[in-house]
Formats: sequence, C-alpha cells, structure tokens
Amino acid sequence: MSEMANMDPEGIDAVRMTWNVWPRTKVEASKCVIPLAASIAPIRPHTDIPMLPYAPLRCKTCSAVLNAFARVDFMAKIWICPFCYQRNHFPPHYAMISETNLPGELYPQYTTVQYALQSFPDPNNSNAPQLPPVFVFVLDTCMIEEELEFVKSAMKQAIGLLPEHALVGFVSFGTQVQVHELGFSDMSKVYVFRGSKEISREQVLEHLGLGSAGRRPTVGYPKVLHNGYANTGVNRFLLPASDCEYTLDTLLDELQTDQWPVQAGHRASRCTGVALSVSAGLLAACLPGTGARIIALVGGPCTEGPGTIVSKDLSEPVRSHKDLDKDAAPYFKKAVKFYDSLAKQLVSQGHVLDLFASALDQVGVAEMKVAVERTGGLVVLAESFGHSVFKDSFKRVFEDGEHSLGLCFNGMLEINCSKDIKIQGVIGPCTSLEKKGPNVADTVIGEGNTTAWKMCGLNKSTSLTVLFDLSSTERSNVPGAANSQFYLQFLTSYQDPEGKTMLRVTTVTRQWVDSTVSSEELLRGFDQETAAVVMARITSLKMETEEGFDATRWLDRNLIRLCSKFGDYRKDDPSSFTLNPCFSLFPQFMFNLRRSQFVQVFNNSPDETAYFRMLLNRENITNAAVMIQPSLISYSFNSLPQPALLDVASISADRILLLDSYFSIVVFHGMTIAQWRNMGYQNQPEHQAFAELLQAPQADAQMIIQERFPVPRLVVCDQHGSQARFLLAKLNPSATYNNSSDIAAGSDIIFTDDVSLQVFFEHLQRLAVQS
Amino acid sequence: MAAPVPPGAPRPGANARQQSPHPNFNPNFQTNPNSLADNMQNMNLNRPHSMPNSGPRPSPFGQPPPFPQSSVTAGFPVASPPMSRPGPPPGMVGRPAVIPAGPLQSTLPANVPPGRPVGLPVSHPLPFGSRPPPASLSSSTGGAVLPSSAFPSSGVSSASAAPPPPGTRPSSFVSSSPLTGGPAGPMSSARAGPSSNGPPAVGAGALPGAPQFPPPAIVSQPPVGPPPSMMSARAPAQAPTMRSVLGSSAVSSPQTPPLPSASSPFPAMTQARPPPPGSPYGPQTWSMQPQQGTQPPHIPGSTHAQPPRMFGMPQQALPNQAMTNIPPALGQPGAPMSGSSKIDPNQIPRPIPNATPIVYETRHGNSANPPPPATSDYIVRDTGNCSPRYMRCTINQIPCTGDLLTTSAMQLALLVQPMALPHPSEDPIQVVDFGESGPVRCSRCKGYINPFMKFIDQGRKFICNLCGFTDDTPRDYHCNLGPDGRRRDADERPELCRGTVEFVASKEYMVRDPMPAVYFFLIDVSMNAVQTGATAAACSAINQVISDLPEGTRTQVGIATFDSTIHFYNLKRALQQPLMLIVPDIQDVYTPLETDVIVQLSECRQHLELLLENIPTMFQTSTTAESCFGAAIKAAFLAMKSIGGKLLVFQSVLPSVGIGALSSREAEGRTNISASEKEAHKLLQPADKILKTMAIEFAEYQVCVDVFVTTQTYVDIASISVIPRTTGGQVYYYYPFSAVSDPAKLYNDLRWNITRPQGFEAVMRVRCSQGIQVQDYSGNFCKRIPTDVDLAGIDCDKCILVTLKHDDKLQDGSECGFQCALLYTTVYGQRRIRVTNLSLPCTNMLSNLFRSADLDTQFTCFLKQAAIEIPTCPLLQVRDHVTNLCINILLSYRKFCATVSSTGQLILPEALKLLPLYTLALIKSRGLRNDGRIDDRSFWFNYVSSLSTPLAIPLVYPRMFAIHNVDTKVIKFLVGLWSKVF
Repeated sequence: MSEMANMDPEGIDAVRMTWNVWPRTKVEASKCVIPLAASIAPIRPHTDIPMLPYAPLRCKTCSAVLNAFARVDFMAKIWICPFCYQRNHFPPHYAMISETNLPGELYPQYTTVQYALQSFPDPNNSNAPQLPPVFVFVLDTCMIEEELEFVKSAMKQAIGLLPEHALVGFVSFGTQVQVHELGFSDMSKVYVFRGSKEISREQVLEHLGLGSAGRRPTVGYPKVLHNGYANTGVNRFLLPASDCEYTLDTLLDELQTDQWPVQAGHRASRCTGVALSVSAGLLAACLPGTGARIIALVGGPCTEGPGTIVSKDLSEPVRSHKDLDKDAAPYFKKAVKFYDSLAKQLVSQGHVLDLFASALDQVGVAEMKVAVERTGGLVVLAESFGHSVFKDSFKRVFEDGEHSLGLCFNGMLEINCSKDIKIQGVIGPCTSLEKKGPNVADTVIGEGNTTAWKMCGLNKSTSLTVLFDLSSTERSNVPGAANSQFYLQFLTSYQDPEGKTMLRVTTVTRQWVDSTVSSEELLRGFDQETAAVVMARITSLKMETEEGFDATRWLDRNLIRLCSKFGDYRKDDPSSFTLNPCFSLFPQFMFNLRRSQFVQVFNNSPDETAYFRMLLNRENITNAAVMIQPSLISYSFNSLPQPALLDVASISADRILLLDSYFSIVVFHGMTIAQWRNMGYQNQPEHQAFAELLQAPQADAQMIIQERFPVPRLVVCDQHGSQARFLLAKLNPSATYNNSSDIAAGSDIIFTDDVSLQVFFEHLQRLAVQS
Repeated sequence: MAAPVPPGAPRPGANARQQSPHPNFNPNFQTNPNSLADNMQNMNLNRPHSMPNSGPRPSPFGQPPPFPQSSVTAGFPVASPPMSRPGPPPGMVGRPAVIPAGPLQSTLPANVPPGRPVGLPVSHPLPFGSRPPPASLSSSTGGAVLPSSAFPSSGVSSASAAPPPPGTRPSSFVSSSPLTGGPAGPMSSARAGPSSNGPPAVGAGALPGAPQFPPPAIVSQPPVGPPPSMMSARAPAQAPTMRSVLGSSAVSSPQTPPLPSASSPFPAMTQARPPPPGSPYGPQTWSMQPQQGTQPPHIPGSTHAQPPRMFGMPQQALPNQAMTNIPPALGQPGAPMSGSSKIDPNQIPRPIPNATPIVYETRHGNSANPPPPATSDYIVRDTGNCSPRYMRCTINQIPCTGDLLTTSAMQLALLVQPMALPHPSEDPIQVVDFGESGPVRCSRCKGYINPFMKFIDQGRKFICNLCGFTDDTPRDYHCNLGPDGRRRDADERPELCRGTVEFVASKEYMVRDPMPAVYFFLIDVSMNAVQTGATAAACSAINQVISDLPEGTRTQVGIATFDSTIHFYNLKRALQQPLMLIVPDIQDVYTPLETDVIVQLSECRQHLELLLENIPTMFQTSTTAESCFGAAIKAAFLAMKSIGGKLLVFQSVLPSVGIGALSSREAEGRTNISASEKEAHKLLQPADKILKTMAIEFAEYQVCVDVFVTTQTYVDIASISVIPRTTGGQVYYYYPFSAVSDPAKLYNDLRWNITRPQGFEAVMRVRCSQGIQVQDYSGNFCKRIPTDVDLAGIDCDKCILVTLKHDDKLQDGSECGFQCALLYTTVYGQRRIRVTNLSLPCTNMLSNLFRSADLDTQFTCFLKQAAIEIPTCPLLQVRDHVTNLCINILLSYRKFCATVSSTGQLILPEALKLLPLYTLALIKSRGLRNDGRIDDRSFWFNYVSSLSTPLAIPLVYPRMFAIHNVDTKVIKFLVGLWSKVF
C-alpha cells in the first residue's frame, strides 16, 4: 500500500481512504477517532482504465455492476454479486464467456472500468455529438472601464476557444439584467430585466417568449434547426459559437460599463442574483439533459434585488467573519437562501454555475458558494480581471489539450457498499438526490440521506469525500472468515466534453479487522495524509454549519484522543511518548491545519474562506494536503533542490525558497541572492550558475502553475521585502522576537506570539499521556 | 299657460304644453301680431314663444333624438330650442318658412292655424329664404337692421309704438345704436326690448307686417305643422347635423326666423362685405333680397337686425340692444308663404364670421369693452384688459351679489386659454424682466403687479386690486404719479398698461433648472397596428416632424415601441445600429436604461431616422396581437421621470395585457342589454383607477401625454383618455383608421402638436377680487391643491373653465379684477410667468347682466359642464340639465327683464338669442346621444374638456360652406379655420 502511495497514491481507482482496514464494529470505529472516509476522484483519467463499448451488467437486486470481485461460474454462466451475494445469470451476449475469455470488467486489475453508453441511440449517426454543450456568459458591467476591457478580452478569447458547435448565450448585468438575443439580425436586441425583483423560472421563460404560451413561431428569425432546439425558440438566444462569434465580438466592443448613475459614496447597484436567475431561466428552455454552464464574471458585491449581500452605502462594509459570528450580517441568510433555491433549480435542470470573481473587495462568494458547490461549478477568486489568476484560469477552462480541465456535465454518482456499511454523506461539489436505501446512515454529514448524488458539472480533478459509518448491529456472530473483505462500488455516469454519455465503475475492496484483536493491522492501514484532509474538510463543514463550533479545540481534542489511543507511552510520562511512523506526520498536519486559513478564518474575508474551502473540498488529497501544510523547497548553490522544513529556520541569505501553499506560490530570495540579482550577476556569462539558480525555482513554479486550476498567485519576493509575508505566514514560528537571541545569522524571525510546533508537541505529549 | 312657461318650460307638461303652447302662441302672436309685420318676423317671434313654451320642448327633447318624431310632435318644442340659436341654424330650416311668410304672409296666417301641420313646413323654406334676403337687405341698411332689431326690442316694450318707427328707424337706429354705444340706449329699451325686441324686430319689419303678426301667431302654431314639411323638404338638402337643427327649427318654424336673424347678422358682418356674407347666408339672402324688396316688412324683420348683431356686429349691437327679443322669431307665416316653392337648400344662410377682422380695444376710456364673439375674426389692442382670447368671462359685468347671479340663472365663469394663439396682426406679448427680485407682487395675496393696482401716496404705496391690501412700492420700482393719478411711467411699463404680460421668472420660481424640451414617441407595433398601416403612418409622421422639433441642444428625443412587450431603443451608440432594449415584464415595468433612452436630438438624428424607417418592416411579420399600452406608457414615463416632457403615444388596439389592461367592455355591455341600458354611462367612465393613479404620477413628474388613437376597433377611450386629460395632453382619434386617408391628417396633427406654442411644467392659478372666488377649475390638468392647477404641458389650444362664486358683496360701480398667472417653461428652457388680467365692472342690475352676457362663453360653459356630467349621469338627466340651464336663463329674463307684454311669447335676451339654438344642437351632438359608439362619445366629451371657446360652437353647430363657388376670402377663412381646428 505504502509503496503504491509513493508512486501514485490514488492508483487506477482514485480512491484514498482514511483507514485502509476497517474495524468491525461501530464502537471500535468510533474509538479510532478519525472517521471512516474515502476520498474519490470519480472521473480522474488513468491510462490503464479500459473503455468498454457496451452497457454494464447490473445485479438484479442491488443493481451493483458486475466487477472483478464477482465470483463467476463459467459453466452455469452465473455471477455472484459481491455486495448482496445474489446470483445473476449472464445475458445471451455474454455466452462466449470463459475463464480464458473474460470481458474487460472481470479482469482483476481492472477494478475501474469505463462504459460508453448510448443514451440516445441513433443508428445513422452514432458519432455525432448529441447535445452540444451550452455556455451562457453572465457579465457584470459595474466595473471600471479598465477591468471591463480585461474581462471583455478574456471573454473574446474564450469564445474563440469554444468548440464550434457549442451554443453560446450572453447576459450582461448591472443595475438591470440584459439578455442579448444573438439571433436577431435587424439590430442588437436585448431583453431587459429589472434587478430589484426576484423572478421565477416561469416568468423568465414567459418574458423571453420561451414559455409554453409564448412559444409562438418567431417569424423573421432564421429557422435553423439547432440540434432540436428550434421548437423551443431558445435558439434566438443560444447560437453555435461559430455563428455568433462575430456578433458577440461587436457586441462586446460596444458594451459599456453600466450606465445607471452611482451616487457618490455608494456602491454601484449590481443585481448578480437576478442575473443568475434569469440565466438559469433561459437555460430552462433547453432540452433536459443538455449540459450547460453559466459562466458568471462578477466584479463586485450584489447590492440590488435578491442575493444582495450588502447595502449600497459605502459606509457599510461587506460582512466579515465577525459579523457572521455575531449575526450582524443582515443580508447573509437571505442571500444564502436565495442562492440555495437557485442551486436547486440548476440542479434540477442539470446545469452548472461557474463563478469568476475579481474584485478588491468581497463579491459574495460566501453566499454563492452553495450554488457553485452544489452544481459542481468552478470558482476563481482574483483581485482583478487583469490578474493572471483570473486570466490564465479562465483560459484554462476553455482550452483543449493536455491541461484541459475536461469539463463534463450531468454527472451522477451512485455508491454501492457491502452490508453493514452506511453512508453518512459526501463532502464536495455535488447534491444529494435523496435516494434512500439500506446503506444510508442516520446521521448526515454534508450531502447525505442518499446513495446517489448529482454532479451537474465535474472535471478530471473533481474529488469527493465520502463518509462512512458502520451498522450499529452487533455482528460478532457473523463468521469472520466468511467475509473478511468488504466492497465499495462507485458508479459515475456523466456526459463527456463531446457530449457522449459515459459510466465509470470503480469497485474497491478492503479488509475488515477486529481491532480488539490486532490494532497493529489497523495502525498500518492508516493514511495520515488523507486523514488530515478529511479532518480539515469535516472541520470546515462544522464551522460552517454548527453554531459556536470551536474548531481548534475540537481538533486538539481529537488529536489528543488519537495520540492517547495509538501512541506508545507510559502513563503520565510525556517524555516516553512515541508515535508509530504511520501516524508521525499527523500531529504536524494538525498543527498546520490549526494555523491554516481553514481554521483561522479571521485573517480572511468570508469570501476568501468560502473560496478556500470549496477548493479544499474538491481537490485531491495531495493538493488538499498542500493547502493545509504547504511544501517548501530550498534551492542553493551546493545542492539539488530539496524539501525544506516548513520553518522559519529554513530561511537563509544564500538560498532561494519555493513555497507552494496551493493558492499562492512564493519564490523567496535570500538577502544575498537578492543583492546579487539586483547587481545583475545573472547576466554575466561567468555567473551562469547563478542565473540557473535563479531560474530553477521559477521554472518549478511554472510547472506547478500549469497543472493547477485555479491558477495560483505567483509571488516573487526577497527576504525582508513586504511580499515576504506570504512566506513568513506559513512558516513555523520557531524563531520569534521572544527568542531572537539564538538565531543563526542570515535566518529570520517572525513577529508573532503564535506557538511554535515544538511547543505544540510538548503540550500534545503531555496531554496525550495524561490518564 | 304662464305658469307652464316658466316651469313648464322645463318639461312638465310636454304634452299639455303642446296644446297649451298653441294658445300661448296665439296670444303672443296676437300681441305680436301687431307687429304682424313680417310673417317672417312673427314667425320668429312665435317660435321663440314656442321656445318659452318649451314647456313643450321637454317632450320634444325627450323625443328629439328621433328627429322625425320630435319634429312632428315636438315640432314646436324642438323648434323652440333652435329658437334661441335659431338665428343661424334654423336659418337653414327656418328661413324657408320665413321667406314664404313674407310673400304668403296673408296666406300664412290663415294657413298657420291649419296650415302648420302641413302647409307651413313646405312654405317655410321659402319664407326663410325670403328672410335671409331681409337680412341682406338689412345688411344693406346695415346697421339699420340691427338697430331695427334693437328697436324691435324697444318696440316690444312699447310694442305698438315701436313697431311703426322701426321700419323707419332701423337704419337710423342702427347707426345710432352703434354710435350711442348702444349700451345706454339699449339698456332702457333693452329691457323692454328684449321682450319687445323679438317682436320689435318683427315689429320693425312688422310695422308693415304688424298685421301680419297675428298671422305669425297663427303661424307660430303652424310651426307644428311646419316641422314635418321642413323635415321632408330639408332633410335632403341639409347635412344631418343641420337636419337635427333643422328638424328642430323646422318644428319651430319660428326658429327659422331667428335664422334669418342669424343670417342677418352675417349680413351685418357682411355689411362690410355684403357679398361674402351673402355667400354664407348668401344664397338665401340674395334670393331673399328680391323678396325683401318686395316685402320691406320682412326686411325690417328684426330678425335680420338681430342676426347681424349676433355675428358680425354683435358687440355693438348687443350693447345697444342689450335685449332683443328673439321670441318673435316666428317664421311661420313666412314659411308657408314662399317656403315650398322658393327655398333652395343650398342657399340656406348660415353664420359666418367676418372675413375682415375688426379691431377691438380691450378697454375704452376707463372701462372694459365687451369682447367680440369668440368665433369672429378680430384684432385685439390690449389697452389694459387682456385679449379675450386669453380669458373671457361668461358675463361681461359682474353681479354684485350671489343672489343677483342666482336670479339671472346664468353661470359666472371664466374661460381661460392662457397660451391662445394671437392674431398675426396683434402685438406680441411683452416680456418684462424684473431681474433677481422677480416681479412686484402683492405681499398678501401674491397677486402680480397689473394695470389695476392703484398707486397712492406719491407712488410710494400701491393698493392691490385683488385683495385690497396696501403695499409699499419697492424702492427701485417707485415712480411719481401724474396729475391723472397714474404713474408717470405707466405707459412705458407693459405691466402697468397691458392686460397680458410675461414676466421672466427668477430663481425663486424654480425648483430645478427649467426642463429641456423632451419628446418621447411610443408606437404600437402589435399585429393589428402594423397590418392596418397605423405603425407605418406613425413612423412616417414622426420622421417628418423631427425637423420641426425645436432646434438646439436642449431638445431631446426618445422612442419606444410596444406590443406585448415594450421595446426601447438606445439611440446613442457609437456603432452602426441602434440597440433594441426589451422590457418584458409588463406587470411591473421599469426603464431599461437611465440615460441613453432619451438623447439629444442632434446626437441621434440619423439613428432615429433610420430606426423609424425600419420599424414597420421590422415588425412586419409580428404575430403578437396583444398590446400593453398601460405598461408601455408607464415604462416610457419611468424613462422620462427625471426630466419630464411630452410623451406622444400612437395606439391602435385595446390594451389587453400588462398594467392597466382593459377589457372589451363595450361588447360585454351589448350582450347584456338590460345592464347596458341602466348603466350605460358606466361605460364612459374609466374602467378602473390604475390609469388614473398613473396619470397623477405622470403629472407630478411633468410628463404630458398625448394619445393618437389610430384604430378600427373599440379601444376604450373612456379609460385611456384619463391619462392625457390629467397630464395636460389630449386624445386624437382616427376611427376607423384608414392607411389611405388618415396618415396625412395624422402627420398634420402631430406637426401642429409639436410646433404650436406650448409650455412645460406649468402651474396656473386664477385670483379674483375680494368678493369673488374661484369655485373650481375644469379642463385637462392635474389638481393637487385646490387653488392651483398643475399642467405638465400647456399649449395654445388648451382652455380651462374656471367657475366662480361669490363669497361677499361687490360694490356697484367698482370693478372686479381677475388675474390668471401661468408659470411655465418655454420650449427653449426659459421660465416665464404669463399674467393675464381682466377687470370688469360690477353691477346690481339684472338687465345689465343679460345685456352683457357673452353667448359663446356661456355656451361653452354649458358644453363643458355637460361633458363633465356625461360619464356620471344617465343621459336623459344630462340633457334635461342642459335644457334647464337654458330655460332658466330665459325664464329669468322673461320674469325680470321683459315687459309684461305676452305670456305666450318667447322672449330672448339679445345677447343670448342663439342660446336655445345652440342648446338644441348640443343636445343632439354626439356626446349626448345614446345611439353612438361608446368610443365616439368618450372621445367627444374628452375633446370638449379642453376645447377652446372659438372651437366650441362649430363643434356642436357645424358650419357648412359651399365650396364649389366660394370666393377667395372664404377660402382664406376656411384655411384659417382648419389650421386652428386641425
């Protein structure tokens, strides 16, 4: 297991679990402190995954899909479902099956297989894209000219990148919402909706002339049959990218910033909420099953109509965490409720909301989070539309090729699991479909109460955390040998970027262990990285949902409990405390988690916190671990780049440090290096090595940036420079002004009263060994 | 009988009346008969009587609608109404009768009794015809005729005595009367006159005809008969409306006499130009003349004399003869006489204003000069009082007490048309700039400085003529007084010597900078509108008027179209084409842009023209049948809210969706007949309050709405019109719209609407001297506080009725002042205060009131009040009310001012002798009939609400002109007229 983890911790299955062996009973499980959970990346590509061009076989009782763990009777042409032990006959087209002629899904190494489904069989043209994806751009116009120009050019670029057949719609908004009818040839034509009034889907459809009543033949419009949309009239608003690129270009050229006057000392009136409702309403006219995204480009807070997060008066600041804690954010709950209902609508339509927010102040990501996360939308938070964080991320969304995000639509995740395993819920970008079953736990965490989830939008890197529980029934009477293995099956159906319907089936098996008998096995099954991430996700969730939740304390207590249970020590002797290597990193993760933006929210705005958490929830374990505990690499003349301790002591005048904290990447030049660089040594041929040294961290940073979405902010700074704070904030404050006397020359100190890792450990040991 | 007359007049015993009338008539006639004079005249007289008899009228009225019947049975009654008016309209009918009378007189009399039924009618035509000639003759005698009429009055008083002289006098009289300034002379004689007038007139002519008189009397009865004949005879010749009149007239062949009189008036007018008048009445007069020649008596036909007064001469004549008796108007005799044979319907005389304008000075010496009739052509010299175009009073002398006014049964009201078009030859209104401090005003009542403020104490103080308060003269406005007690600089300062001046408003009169001229066009593009060509017509009209919009950077325009959604257009775009902005939420509308929906004309002219060309084709294939008129104007309003301005709406179908949607009430009413009859007038009321509420809001933000209804169906004008009415706009109605014939008219209307003198964001208040106060205003405006009216828009065609009441006694011999102040913004963005002053003498004499009554104004007042009642009262009640208004005046006159002479004779005050005729015409006009389309009626009474005095008469009593052989002057006149009306 551990070897594999080094290579590719997620393997073909893209499943990582906190515990790779599970205790048998609920009681034992609860003693393990860290919950039973799995992090899955439902459609993460892997070269070894076979593509099967036929429909899967399902068990007739539990509808689990035939998989490599099924026992097959080749003679009788029968397979036994590993989940429910139901015996199923193979259908006639499996008649050829034999021990030497196995279908793909029965190969033992193919625990994950992918089926290409034909949802709309079309014998004549089976390769034709069935439903082109739809992109509705929703553009905020309440911004300064410069920003608007940035975002316009980004949009133009994006439209150029879209597949030709993709349908494009355009909605702009400010004080009011303007839905542009791209298919009207006589002149530019827009439907204007007021920003101050909540509007239902039916009203939107009616007002756009798309309602059942208003679905009149619109004579005068080119009657093009756009893949079956013609009869709805929606093709007036949604045109193939190739047809409307020119129209959109000129339209964007003419688009001005919102012309409604803004009172001095007031915020622009911006009706983000209505704009999104209207866009969602417009998409409602699409055929069901269409993959569609609303791409919202927002430059400021919503101040008008539903979804308002702050009043127009500038003297009133946008809510802070403190306000939220004290319930002093009068708009918050209403706005969240509004976006919640918007999320429901989008989910029912199967459409996605992507949010690209660029502003120096908050724009309401905290409120919109629910809609973005439930629909599996993308979110990018930047300071400016001219900033690379936005520009490059936005481009990535539409780009094809190696770094393409692989945006997929209409995903649905189903989980089958062995008897006695209950699913509490899922944390991540999805929505519960409320499909009840015997495997649904009573306690709900995240999106629960179901064994099926909707993921309107998902991409290659989308990850979910599934939390499990065990049935409380006493199972000691079950013969252990009979089923020492348990199984989990993840079924993900989705529409790929070409519009084809796919089903990915991942079946994993793990072992039951009687932890009362052998805790050693249990120990070895612990995945501390996953555990740390799951703890972070749970903590975040609890902070959001539980009133007065004290995250630091809760984490400390759990850590102490864990150490008490799994540490080796003599009671009441802190110095005797040691931890199994499988656990050794965990306390440090917790230390950093406690200090991270996920727990220490008061350094951030609610928007930022929401943004961080959304990414925490949707990223894979490795990336999520970086968010919690950044990685630090040191570059110096005398050695290869090497990982450095995340400690202030790693700072040295003659080193370059590369810090990856996921959201930002910091290239930190030591004082001496910075001086040399300023003197231009790198330009002198004899100092080629220095130039290379300078180049190395930059190149590494670019590599990281290229792989990541959203694109992280790149900070290049020098020791003692103002930007150096991005690094210092993440380092363990082992050296502060309190103990500055014993600092090595060239290193640095951090001005903080925060406890250092060492102090933390000392306390942890003391508390863990207390009887 | 007597009893019947007064009360009876109303209606009491219509039936009884009819019978009784005869008796009455006879008596009257008999008395008159003396004048016998001209059957014609007598006839006239008789008719009047019939009028009085009006007792009968009632019934007629009831019946009137059905002309035929009324004519027959009510014949008399009907006739009576015409009587008042008789002059002109009856002219048509009446004359014939009259004419015959002349020749036939003898026969007539005889005929009369029996004849009436049958013979009279026939004969009437001729008689009338004959009369006109008299008129012409009279014209020849000119003033004489008038005087004669005057005489008649006197004659009446001294009936017997007078009659003889008349004949001779007429000419002299005429001259004298004018000379004497009629007033005095008339006064004395007047009273007697009135009663006598009628007769006298007759008498005058009568002298000769005196004998005839009796016959006339008979004739008078005949009238009954005549009607039928008249009916038959005329019907063909005359226009429908005329017919109605005629019918009535016919009934009251007597009326015809009046007509003659009317005609005569024209002649009088014509005197100046005999021929022209001739043309109007012309035909008849001419033809008549011959007869007259033969029948001098006829000529005397006081009728002639009277007519002249009415029209051309009126003013002078009136003063002279304050009271003429129209009563005599029994054309009966005449009618039978020549009627059948000679009357040529084409030659029936009609009222025509002088083609040559008279010059009218508003004050003579130190007293007010009664104004010429509103419908005449005159040139005003402002010598202290305002031009009557701007403000005129129903009575040119103010009763000292409310009781006196009540006794007279007349209305006391002002008709104010503050921006009326002046005659091109008149001096423009002078603009006075007092600089920062603004105009001098009374510190108590805030009245503006005017020629009637009296400076005392060496000019150091002045006394307000309105409230009587003494103020200190502002230091820099001080000027010494001359020996005459006037300021030495009075003649140099327009505000001290002119009735109308305009002050430049200072900052204190502005709550914001004066608004620019904003024109927002809103065009219906629903399926019907496009397919009937209405949209194209509107776009083309707008496109043509763009160049007529005021020049300059302050002119802004906007445009929107609507069907079931509202489409705005952003005209201020850098690139090639305008941007269409659709507002789909028609339940709760809004404007799609704050700024660029309304832009400076200079910036968008090309876009605008292009757009207007494109709109019809752009919506060519639209299949949207619904129209969201209410929502569209609300949205347009929201776009204009910040500045205000004019909203011009082109609407073609019933607003069926969105705010203020309406249902096809008319159809519903039809299906449920019982309900519709009971509640018929409910259909004339706005369907709900939504539009009214909107309208008030519009007015508050200075948005003035004009609606051009180009339709082929019911559009519920009753509801729609609330908006223009409240915002100072008006409704234009093209029904049934024809893409062939209406676009030119639409263009013309739109062009006039935009180019006529007008103002924005106006506030108007009328102040009166102590003792009188404003009771109410009515017209197209919004009233938020009792004393002021708010006019989002005011233009030269809008007239406001201001009713007055006494709250104290006035001093006999003093003058009562009225001041109308209109604060407005010109189309070029200047803030101005137009102050219009009128000072009229006060009197304690009832007779003075009748003598100085202003017929046109009084009638317009009737008309407007009837229009107000139409939507709220059952139709019968409205008609009764109108009738009673007229009857009560005549009754009062008869009771208190006429000589005891005759009980059965209709006696009309000279000044108001056409009132019965007009009243009849009013009762038969579209708005007071129940057989018309609801929309037509709604339009009618809405049109009336802002109608100016000069246009009110032609509305109910249309003028007809033969255009196959008109001379140039008439053409000129007609052109002038049309330019005003359309």
